[in-house]
Amino acid sequence: MKSFLYNIGYFIKETGRIIRLNLLSNVFSIIGTGLILIILGIVIVGTDIGNRLVVMLNEEAEISGYFSDSVDEEAKETVVERIGKIQGVTSVRLVSETEAQDRMKDILGDEAKILELFDENPFEAFVEIRIDMEAIDNILDDVASMIEIEYVRDNRAVLDNIKDITNTLKLFGYLMITAVGITTIIILSHMIRQGIYNNKEQINTLRLLGSPSGFIGLPYILSGILLTFLGGMLATVSIVSLINVAYEGIAGTIPFMPLPPRTDLIEKMMIILPSISLSLGFIGSLFGLSSIRERA
Amino acid sequence: MIKANDVSLIYQDGTKALRNVNLDIKPGELVYITGPSGSGKTSLLKLIMGMEYPTTGNIRVLGNSFKKNNTGKIRKIRKRIGPVFQEFKLIEGRTAFENVMIGMRFLGIKPKQMKQRAHESLEKVGLGHKKLSKVENLSWGESQRVAIARAVARKPALILADEPTGNLDYDNAINILQLLKSFIEKDTSIIITTHATHLIKDEQNATFIQVNKGEITVDRRGKSYEKLSV
Ligand SMILES: Nc1ncnc2c1ncn2[C@@H]1O[C@H](COP(=O)(O)OP(=O)(O)O)[C@@H](O)[C@H]1O
Ligand SMILES: [Mg+2]
Repeated sequence: MKSFLYNIGYFIKETGRIIRLNLLSNVFSIIGTGLILIILGIVIVGTDIGNRLVVMLNEEAEISGYFSDSVDEEAKETVVERIGKIQGVTSVRLVSETEAQDRMKDILGDEAKILELFDENPFEAFVEIRIDMEAIDNILDDVASMIEIEYVRDNRAVLDNIKDITNTLKLFGYLMITAVGITTIIILSHMIRQGIYNNKEQINTLRLLGSPSGFIGLPYILSGILLTFLGGMLATVSIVSLINVAYEGIAGTIPFMPLPPRTDLIEKMMIILPSISLSLGFIGSLFGLSSIRERA
Repeated sequence: MIKANDVSLIYQDGTKALRNVNLDIKPGELVYITGPSGSGKTSLLKLIMGMEYPTTGNIRVLGNSFKKNNTGKIRKIRKRIGPVFQEFKLIEGRTAFENVMIGMRFLGIKPKQMKQRAHESLEKVGLGHKKLSKVENLSWGESQRVAIARAVARKPALILADEPTGNLDYDNAINILQLLKSFIEKDTSIIITTHATHLIKDEQNATFIQVNKGEITVDRRGKSYEKLSV
């Protein structure tokens, strides 16, 4: 241990020397690792956006209950009250016929004239029920079973679709992480083996002088970590610029897109990508080093 | 320091390099291993450094015996040896100074002390002015001195020098032997191999191990003559 502290300068110099010895392939391995990590970053961002959509839709989860004919105002009020007591219902409100019509007018905007063609208000009153998505099945059953309610409308299909997409993205993300991991580790351990091969005489001499393997190997581990870390930095910088460009583009064209806050996403990338690259660097170096480990 | 009991060494290809070697080398002893080329001198040094293992018999170096696959033990012994290889094994691309330093870096010596020892030993071998030259730019004789400086800077219990007089003319050969001998101390033994017996014929207080086709004869000059194996 003492020897490591006494020789920090030496290890740093050696690391630089190992990288310089094979500079071109090392630069390419940085770029390669960087590109792979960029793809990983994109998948993570995609998953994040999907998750965000699901959360938002969950928060907005809302079902509407429409009354059977012949239900009077008083009965409607009690229905609202009863629904409010069902577990998982966060709020419930009666939307009157007039309000329903006003909403449609808002949605139609200039086209609202069309509603004037009707003699009577064609809209029905309904109960607007905000719910906790987890409990949707029970709530749907309960509400639908009330005699006063004729039918229930929910947005579960949409939600399920988005959930499916997000889950697929997540799965894809895990696959990506595995692929990125394996590829980086292979690239790296190959680089390190190459480095060890190029320095085999020096390594042999150090062994004959009684050097521990850790002392011989440390500069290789450091250079492996440095290479992947630089790749990670390359990926981080690219992803961050990509996020910035994309957010500006989206803000201009589809302003209501429910994206996660840009700074959250950027912060996350700035933590995830460098730490993934550091861990991969460490693991890859150890793999590469296994070729020199147990000999005297 | 070194105890060998009935050691033999047969290489993987079947070459019988050493037979029935019995040795007992004490601290502070100066030992010359002589014998014609191919007789087994380097093989004996390899056994002492744990670069080869006895095919039969056993050898103890500095109180430890090498066990195959016990890398910890092997390192422990090697750390206390200062080898001067026949082909030097200097690390190219580095200065003479860094080569001497590198031999000490894993011995747990403080940086200031390492530097001091490196300077001292390079001065002592007469290379004070070439400390910062890359070793590939040094002459054969200068490289040899760097190798010696690297070995002695470690303050080893045992210095091994394989054919240090190999390529040198008479005067330089005598000088290098004088230099090596100057590092003998109470606790430091030196083993030098050479096939040039005329260089050491006048030596008084030394042990001579003559190797002939893998068998050794030990001659403790000034003391008793021991014939261990013929
Ligand atoms: N690694 C090896 N494998 C097979 N034979 C070897 C090996 N090293 C040396 N030898 C043989 O062992 C014998 C002794 O060699 P060596 O110890 O190098 O002799 P010396 O140093 O006295 O010249 C020689 O016949 C040599 O060819
Ligand atoms: Mg030899």
